[in-house]
Amino acid sequence: MRQLLLWSNLLLFLGIASCGPAVSDSPKDLPVRLRVPQGFPSLDFPPDNQPTQARIELGRRLFYHTDLSMDGKTNCGTCHVQSSAFTDGRTIAQGAHGQSGRRNTPTLANLGWSPYLMAEGGVPSLELQALAPLHEPSEMGINMMDAVARINAHEDLRALNRLAYGRDSLDPFTITRALAAFQRTMISGDSKYDQFKAGVSNLTDLERKGMELFFSKRLQCSECHSEPFFTDYGFYNVGLYTTYPDPGLERKTHLKADSGNFKTPTLRNIAVTAPYMHDGSLNTLEDVIAFYDSGGKGHHQQDKRIRELHLSQEEKEALVAFLHTLTDWNFLQNKTLSPWDE
Amino acid sequence: MVGCKDENTVEEKPEDTATSGTLTLGMGAKWGNEDFVVEQVYFDTYGNRIRVDKFMSYISEIHLVRADGSEVLLKDFYLADFENDVNLNYTVPSGNYVGLKLGLGVPAAYNKHEDPAQYPSSHPLSVAGSQGMFWYWNTGYIFTKFEGKIDTTGTPGAELLDSFLFHIGDDPYYRELSFTGLNLNVAPNSPASLQLNIFVDQILAPASGTSIDLATNAVTHTSELDVLATSFFDNYAAAIAVE
Ligand code: HEC
Ligand code: HEC
Repeated sequence: MRQLLLWSNLLLFLGIASCGPAVSDSPKDLPVRLRVPQGFPSLDFPPDNQPTQARIELGRRLFYHTDLSMDGKTNCGTCHVQSSAFTDGRTIAQGAHGQSGRRNTPTLANLGWSPYLMAEGGVPSLELQALAPLHEPSEMGINMMDAVARINAHEDLRALNRLAYGRDSLDPFTITRALAAFQRTMISGDSKYDQFKAGVSNLTDLERKGMELFFSKRLQCSECHSEPFFTDYGFYNVGLYTTYPDPGLERKTHLKADSGNFKTPTLRNIAVTAPYMHDGSLNTLEDVIAFYDSGGKGHHQQDKRIRELHLSQEEKEALVAFLHTLTDWNFLQNKTLSPWDE
Repeated sequence: MVGCKDENTVEEKPEDTATSGTLTLGMGAKWGNEDFVVEQVYFDTYGNRIRVDKFMSYISEIHLVRADGSEVLLKDFYLADFENDVNLNYTVPSGNYVGLKLGLGVPAAYNKHEDPAQYPSSHPLSVAGSQGMFWYWNTGYIFTKFEGKIDTTGTPGAELLDSFLFHIGDDPYYRELSFTGLNLNVAPNSPASLQLNIFVDQILAPASGTSIDLATNAVTHTSELDVLATSFFDNYAAAIAVE
């Protein structure tokens, strides 16, 4: 079966290679202006990867293409599931990239604004990040080149690639550019909370109480989970453990002082991205609030703001209710972010 | 794609043959006086039986140096796999050369913020060309990989049960080496040659410096003030000789 598949791909590949000059009617790629939600800063793009229709569409197809994976069964969307704000509901991603098999799959919302990626912030751009999942830690480049060959067997992708980047075949450059272009369109800024701020929606009393607590001096949640992305992109030790099995930022800086420091995660769509924390060790938002209320485990480098909060039952419920208002239902259903119809 | 050329031979920069000559730069690993063989079992100075399964390293900015200090670039980036000895052939301007300079690792300007995807696949810093010598979770090249198995009991014939792994990278580990006192004459029709030898045994047991006992110091992925990574790289830099 596998053999057969390989052969048919190869034949297809040869068929294309022999059909002469590729683009006959030379259609044009069109620039795209992404809608930036109110209150978000403007979105910058790398000079070599300005957003266009073909780039974004190519990226979308690649994101959901199993031929990009080593086993031919998975794709980015296997772990980054749209209906869960591009997370997978698992404690630890299975066979994941990055801290392979050790970390919870993070949401991919609003990454175009993120100054760096991964839990230790070691990757400076979405373009570079896209290389990570395409590699096995052991024999990386070689495997990526296999994937590249498989992907190039698809004439629809090659046509999009020509249009998008003016190159006849897909290569690591165009693949990573396209994946990044698509991921920059994953913009989420239309939650109930955003609508409330825009004056077009109301919050319940409980939600409002939770909001006030969240932004209060007493709780200080918003000092790290700051607007508009509900993250300051800083690195903190929240005292999840007294000894962290995953060193977090220390892995990158090699400084003991950074042990257990993780990038503040965004809280947008937090109600649909359970389980929580870098290792998925907290199952529900109630658990997260209970954790913060308890003041952490008391790691010697724990951030000072994580301390006993003495929350009442109602205050806990209010916080959870507020966190639920950060869900952007349109983002979870937006067809332009879903697998394309074949 | 590299066609059917001898993979161990790299031809570079054809130049005016009237004013230039060929230089062969050989590169090989040694264990004592012998050629070093990957996957062969050796005794180290601690009595461990060790087998190196992989020894790869970036060597950058290889230059010939003239007496007046001027330099001729031979190769900007080269990913050496010490499984095979190689001969790199270059055409260089005629003249006398007194030195060879090279860097171990990838220089900072090309290391952490460069995108491997920007290079064509034939380039040693590209996605394919880097052959796994890149950290994708924290962008940057792995300068050197030294991996294998060890039997700490030193019993001939016993299985090598434990592993050692040195993945060393990051800007502070980049080492610039300069070999002086050479007398290399390059002229048309008289091929010249240089041999770069890496003494693997001396990386573990240097003449001066810190010896590495793989029984107790077996793994580093490089960290700051990483004593093991520093010892390894210092020893490695000292274990290279040019003839
Ligand atoms: C097997 C599950 C899995 C697959 C498949 C997967 N990811 Fe991920 N992704 C993860 C995990 C886990 C992390 C967190 C890694 C870390 O921080 O070390 C992550 C992190 C990321 C990040 C960084 C997010 C941030 O906030 O820093 C991006 C971007 C990303 N993935 C994109 C992709 C793309 C594009 C693909 C397909 C080419 C993909 N992922 C495939 C599990 C997966
Ligand atoms: C000192 C900065 C800081 C403060 C203050 C803070 N957080 Fe966090 N928060 C973080 C970091 C860092 C993480 C990730 C920790 C980890 O994974 O180890 C996190 C994780 C979370 C998560 C889970 C996110 C996910 O995707 O897994 C939620 C929910 C959360 N915080 C809510 C809150 C609330 C509510 C408060 C106030 C009671 C608060 N945080 C206060 C830094 C902070």
